[in-house]
Amino acid sequence: MTETRLKKEQDCWRGSFEVMASPCEILMEVDDQSLAENILKAVSAEAKRIEQKFSRYRDNNIIFKINNASGKTISVDDETTRLIDFSDNLYRMSEGLFDITSGVLRKAWKFDGSDNVPESERVKKILLTVGWNKVTWKDQQLKMKPGMEIDLGGVGKEYAVDRCIQIVRDMTAESVLVNFGGDLATTCPRRRNGFWSVGRLITGKEHSVALFQLRKGAIATSGDAHRYLIKDGIRYSHVLNPTTGWPVIGAPHTVSITAPTCIEAGMLSTLAMLQGEKAEQFLKLQEVDYWID
Amino acid sequence: MRIICLLFAIGISGTGCSSMGVEPWERDLLAKKSMRLNADYLDNYYDEHIYFSKEATSGGQGVGGGGCGCN
Amino acid sequence: MQLKKIKGQISLAACALLQVTSPTAQAEDNQWDVDSAVLFYSEGDGRVSAFEPAIYAGRDLEDGDRIDLRVVVDALTGASPNGAHASSVAQTFTTPSGNSSYTTKAGETPLDETFRDTRVSLGADWTMEMDRLSRLALGANFSKEYDYTSLGISASYAHDFNNRNTTLTTSLGFNSDSISPEGSIPSEFMPMVNKGFAQNRESDTETKTITDFLVGITQIVDRKTIVQLNYSFGITDGYQNDPFKIITVVDAAGLPATGAFDAFNTGDLPYVYEKRPDSRQRQNLYVKTVRHLEEDVINFSYRYYWDDWDINSHTFDLKYRYQMESSYLQPHIRYYMQSAAEFHTHNLALGTDVNQTTGKVQVDYASNDYRLAESETLTLGLKYGIPMGDNSELSMRAEIISQAVTDDNVPAGEEIPDLDAVILQVNYSFVW
Repeated sequence: MTETRLKKEQDCWRGSFEVMASPCEILMEVDDQSLAENILKAVSAEAKRIEQKFSRYRDNNIIFKINNASGKTISVDDETTRLIDFSDNLYRMSEGLFDITSGVLRKAWKFDGSDNVPESERVKKILLTVGWNKVTWKDQQLKMKPGMEIDLGGVGKEYAVDRCIQIVRDMTAESVLVNFGGDLATTCPRRRNGFWSVGRLITGKEHSVALFQLRKGAIATSGDAHRYLIKDGIRYSHVLNPTTGWPVIGAPHTVSITAPTCIEAGMLSTLAMLQGEKAEQFLKLQEVDYWID
Repeated sequence: MRIICLLFAIGISGTGCSSMGVEPWERDLLAKKSMRLNADYLDNYYDEHIYFSKEATSGGQGVGGGGCGCN
Repeated sequence: MQLKKIKGQISLAACALLQVTSPTAQAEDNQWDVDSAVLFYSEGDGRVSAFEPAIYAGRDLEDGDRIDLRVVVDALTGASPNGAHASSVAQTFTTPSGNSSYTTKAGETPLDETFRDTRVSLGADWTMEMDRLSRLALGANFSKEYDYTSLGISASYAHDFNNRNTTLTTSLGFNSDSISPEGSIPSEFMPMVNKGFAQNRESDTETKTITDFLVGITQIVDRKTIVQLNYSFGITDGYQNDPFKIITVVDAAGLPATGAFDAFNTGDLPYVYEKRPDSRQRQNLYVKTVRHLEEDVINFSYRYYWDDWDINSHTFDLKYRYQMESSYLQPHIRYYMQSAAEFHTHNLALGTDVNQTTGKVQVDYASNDYRLAESETLTLGLKYGIPMGDNSELSMRAEIISQAVTDDNVPAGEEIPDLDAVILQVNYSFVW
């Protein structure tokens, strides 16, 4: 069982725990302590369940089974199917930019702030095991070439937030905010005037925080100011283009987006990062509320 | 662990604001209902009305709100 | 990848993943936020008392819009000073209708006992989200009482800057008011006439317009502190007299100059109706800060007001919200001081201010409305609030208001008693 903490704030309950290597928090505008405890229990259990089922760092789950199939066909359950279907959709929508098989490129790229840019030959070789188009996916059956891997980490946390929101909505009509390491969503507007205040760290400016109001829906953020490489004056962001195997140049440090669900917000922010210099242009086209820096 | 964190919450209404030198997830301090600029809405309405009828000067917080034959 | 709008496609994919029909439909469960209250106000001693129920309701609409509504009913009874000053002799006054009279005992402040009114006030605001950084709010208000009608509209535009750290607001308000007092509008500076005779009256109705402009900036200084600064400028044009207020004409000895208006069927009434300028330009600087302490919240505001009637005022307001386990206590202190209007006078002197022969008033403007005198007001209050279940809060408030005229030039014999009023209020807020 995940260790959880519950604390009474002035006008809400704050529950916290750690899962998916992220600090997770839920803020509950409920008065009843036992209800708050139950919500916290349900949310942390669901987050833990999703982590255990889809983490690529475990050796006993469906992802491990798929990644170690050595060319065999693997049957997957309904929930995994929905996630893979979703990723498949995104792959086609983004013309290959969003690709759950791109994780193996991490073998070549270590974004530690150094100038450690890999040899292009090495990248080319790894790229042979990257590409959703190389995968056979039909009728809940997945077949990959040996050496290929999938990683649902790109949607997992956002999916967990949205799942927890669904669970909480069945438990209370009050407003609850679920925040998994910066990807967050609300069940409904708050009782009076409706806002949760959300702080956003402004990267590049030390300890700067911008506050804004989240009335309903979700916010997700992509980017990480502390993960990059610099060589010959070029800043390589940690966002990799799976079609080239190379980092996107000119991408914003971070992009935050609001959308009705955390998944939508997360996918839009990921795709915006992948646009590099054209990230803001892309965001304007989507007619969403966004923050970029 | 991710450094970028969107986080802390509790509803402030009305206006956007900045803050410096704090980790946002540490505490919720800012922005509770009681921190609103227009907290105690009806109290303020009553007070404006009472003092409008008892004093020569009024206004400052906003425009409109309705006239009264009491002054 | 081509730059294209794919939000809709992603939304559909997300629906399939989460097994819902529409992700947006889930969040549209908006409710009315309701705050209801009753206020009881009493000045004691047969002076004004008021009973004032009010209800406020607001809710979020689609696309970030919001609507706020307000209804207030204000039932007033009691008496207020008629402007004449206390005298060592008993004084008689004609009622506004001209049909009867009332008498004030020697040494007492003359009060108009006929004051009784019910006011109904309605307000509505509609706030629209223009784009991700700006909002436009349109408002309308209407109020009606026995002799007074007010109709107003307002518009307010707010824009966020500086990573939404700063909000700039500009507002414009316009009100059109009309007054139709019982017995019609008294003629300015004409004497009060004895009962039963033709009164000095003008039209039935007078009007004024009020135009206000405001610019404001709101900023969070740090995580615990919000500051708001407003400047406002307003013009009131039109009839600004209090039709029921009169001024005593005194002789060289400072006594009511009975017989000053022998030519006017006044009997012995030595009073004229007041006259104020028909234009007033008002300005306000207002600063407010809300600061969060460890658990408690401090709320402080200061206002400096000045106008072209030579009135200026300072208002200090401090609330301290002391947070207990779940309930809170909130002491409140307000201090207000104002200077007198240029034309405020305690009386008019026969021979200088009023022509001894013709009875004509020879100053431009004059009023002895105590509200235009130099004065100060101190308010002390306490509020207690307690949550009632998940959605509602009950609160109670008691305040004491003490108002005193601080004018050093009050003539002997004219005693202006301090005004002491009490407010009792109960609020109940809930979600509906």
